[in-house]
Amino acid sequence: MKTPLPYQELSTIYFALAAVLLPLFACLVNCCLPGKRNKASGAISTLAMLVAAALSVIVFSKTWNAPQVHIQQLWFTIGSTPLYAGILLNNLSAILLLLVCLIALPVHIYSTAYMKHDENYDRYFIYLSLFCFSMLALVVVDSMVLLYGFWELVGFSSYLLIGFWFTREKAAQANKKAFLMNRIGDIGLLTAIMTLFAQYHTFDIVQLFGDGGLISQSTVQNGVWIGPTGSMPAVWQYIAFTGILLGVAAKSAQFPLHTWLPDAMEGPTSVSALIHAATMVAAGVFLLGRVYPMFTTFELDILAIVGCFTAFMAATIALTQNDLKRILAYSTISQLGFMVMAMGIGAYASSLFHLVTHAFFKCALFLVAGVVIHEMQHIKEENKLDIDPQNILYMGGLRKKLPLTFLVAVVAALALIGLPFTSGFLSKDGILVQAVDWSDNKAPLFRLIPIGAILTTWLTGFYVARLIAKVFFGQFRLEQFHPHVQYHISDGGWQYRVPLILLGVASLFPIFSLNPLLYERAWIFSGFGSIHLERVNIYHTIIPVGVNILSLFLIYWAWSVYTGRKILIFKQTGFFFHLSYHEWYIDQFYNRVIVKAVLCISKALSWVDRVVIDGFINSLANTLVGLGKAASWFDYHVIDGISRVLSGIVQITGNFVRHFQSGRVQYYLFSMLAVVLALIIYLSF
Amino acid sequence: MISLNDFLMVSIALFCIGLYMIITKRNAIQILIGIELMLNAAILNLVAFGKYDKILNGGDVFALFAIVLAAATTAVALAIILNVYKKYRTIDPDKINSLKD
Repeated sequence: MKTPLPYQELSTIYFALAAVLLPLFACLVNCCLPGKRNKASGAISTLAMLVAAALSVIVFSKTWNAPQVHIQQLWFTIGSTPLYAGILLNNLSAILLLLVCLIALPVHIYSTAYMKHDENYDRYFIYLSLFCFSMLALVVVDSMVLLYGFWELVGFSSYLLIGFWFTREKAAQANKKAFLMNRIGDIGLLTAIMTLFAQYHTFDIVQLFGDGGLISQSTVQNGVWIGPTGSMPAVWQYIAFTGILLGVAAKSAQFPLHTWLPDAMEGPTSVSALIHAATMVAAGVFLLGRVYPMFTTFELDILAIVGCFTAFMAATIALTQNDLKRILAYSTISQLGFMVMAMGIGAYASSLFHLVTHAFFKCALFLVAGVVIHEMQHIKEENKLDIDPQNILYMGGLRKKLPLTFLVAVVAALALIGLPFTSGFLSKDGILVQAVDWSDNKAPLFRLIPIGAILTTWLTGFYVARLIAKVFFGQFRLEQFHPHVQYHISDGGWQYRVPLILLGVASLFPIFSLNPLLYERAWIFSGFGSIHLERVNIYHTIIPVGVNILSLFLIYWAWSVYTGRKILIFKQTGFFFHLSYHEWYIDQFYNRVIVKAVLCISKALSWVDRVVIDGFINSLANTLVGLGKAASWFDYHVIDGISRVLSGIVQITGNFVRHFQSGRVQYYLFSMLAVVLALIIYLSF
Repeated sequence: MISLNDFLMVSIALFCIGLYMIITKRNAIQILIGIELMLNAAILNLVAFGKYDKILNGGDVFALFAIVLAAATTAVALAIILNVYKKYRTIDPDKINSLKD
């Protein structure tokens, strides 16, 4: 940036920078705090987040629908390629900055109470702050390299948090799984970044994806990917897309890389709330938003298919799960599928809108789940029961015990289903309407996508109703299993209540649109230049009405089935039940095919290593040892032998001569005589 | 007339007897006697060859000198033998082998 920025923009940049760095600062301060269970760490992290949230509100108010603010500085130069690092604030990053802060703040408050009795209270907040920092930095950086760095950091800190209770075998497995899955995505993203760099010679997001940027000037023609800075075979464009898709699929838990997300439930529930709402899974959709201009129509279709399939699959799985958090995890996958699909059908604004609304109600649902699990855990510990506190089969009738939690849960659940007067209605029906619109201009087979999406909406209605009914309605089933159970549970202190109320309110319509029934009026759309703002055709009326009426029926049906008013009409056998209950056998498939194959390969490699490489080395070593032994033998027997023989001769001679030195005078005389005689004899001949 | 050869024969016999005694006897006194015999064989030779020097009588004079010397040597040898006996309680030269290294 050669021209000096006006003061206004500069202060915005500083505010954004401070909002990003405050959690990092809190993380570093917490690292230096003495004592293992220092309660100050929670306060420090929460305070940092509070200030960051306030700053992000200011930043948001200044940058929303204003010209983008972009500042950068030379970072380093490799050869003749300068690398810039900087901050980019446009509508997309501003709203995500705000969203992450606003979600992270209630989660921090909630965590101070939720983790109160944990042994590693301070470690938890160190990780949590690091996590928030990496996500905040991810959304504001302007370079693909930095983006990749923070992308990895988000994965790494989520790894730390998922495995926070690493002494549990399952948690350790889960975080390993999440990390490995994310590594696959990271490789994809890295490939994409390198491909883009090879084509455009820059990492700068504004230059690449900005208005009139390099991407918008390039085309794919006749199998050649032509850009302003050069051309490559078109296959590289698809490689870049596949890389991005892999990255998105891993981070945002899309098929086929979604299996880490349900397992990530092993982390503390407050972390799950953060991961599912704003910090981790949002990164994938955010990346799609950042690189959106590079996709061709064909690639967008693939995105739509992947998203739609993921949404549908996850919804069917959620139908039969019994673990409270697992149901929510699959609903997250399903909703993320909606977002990716929305990106694919060109509903860019709707996708981001859904990301925002989903963040609030999903966070609310997870915090509700946290309260419920916390109380169930209490009951379990007080009565020394052997139950899984997350299993919804033991719950029921909790609405009277936890009234506030119940209320928030219902609001958030309705938002998740997408019923009118909630935020979810506004965003989800936008996606559905645009999906139908989109498929109008496509081949008949593409009809499957809106149909799949609408089916998913209904399935969502059913499983969410099942969840709410099983947890909050009917009889408290634990009492049926253990009649003498003692319990006194409540909504908890203000650290529980305030976040729940905030998020519950944010799940309602007024925050996003003054008109509860027309999604087109939502203010977020104005920021992303949506083309679907006009009610151009009949779909805009039929679809919301039709979908919601059927949803209501389904909810009533599920509610009456699961509160026990009707007998269970589903047989818990059969192919579809097992398919859903075993999560489409995807994990088993991965274990059987991929994990086993990898293990086989590594075993084979280990065998090669052990037998061939080690064998070669060992045979070399043995040869050398043999040579050494031969040399030693030669040394001992030949070299030493010669000297031994010499010394032997000397010894024998000495010993022989010694006999003459007998000390007997007469012998000496005799020998003298003998010598003289010998001399005489010798001389006389 | 006794010829020179007869003297020399006796002398050789004396010398050989003395030598034999020195080598074989187990008694220091007998060895000393053997030495005296060899000495006397030499003196006999001196006297026998003295007939060729009638003017200066060198042979006879030297014989006398040798006899005196022999007496002195014998005295010294006897003294040594006496001391050896005192120290080792024997005069068998086989047993006195401390000359050995």
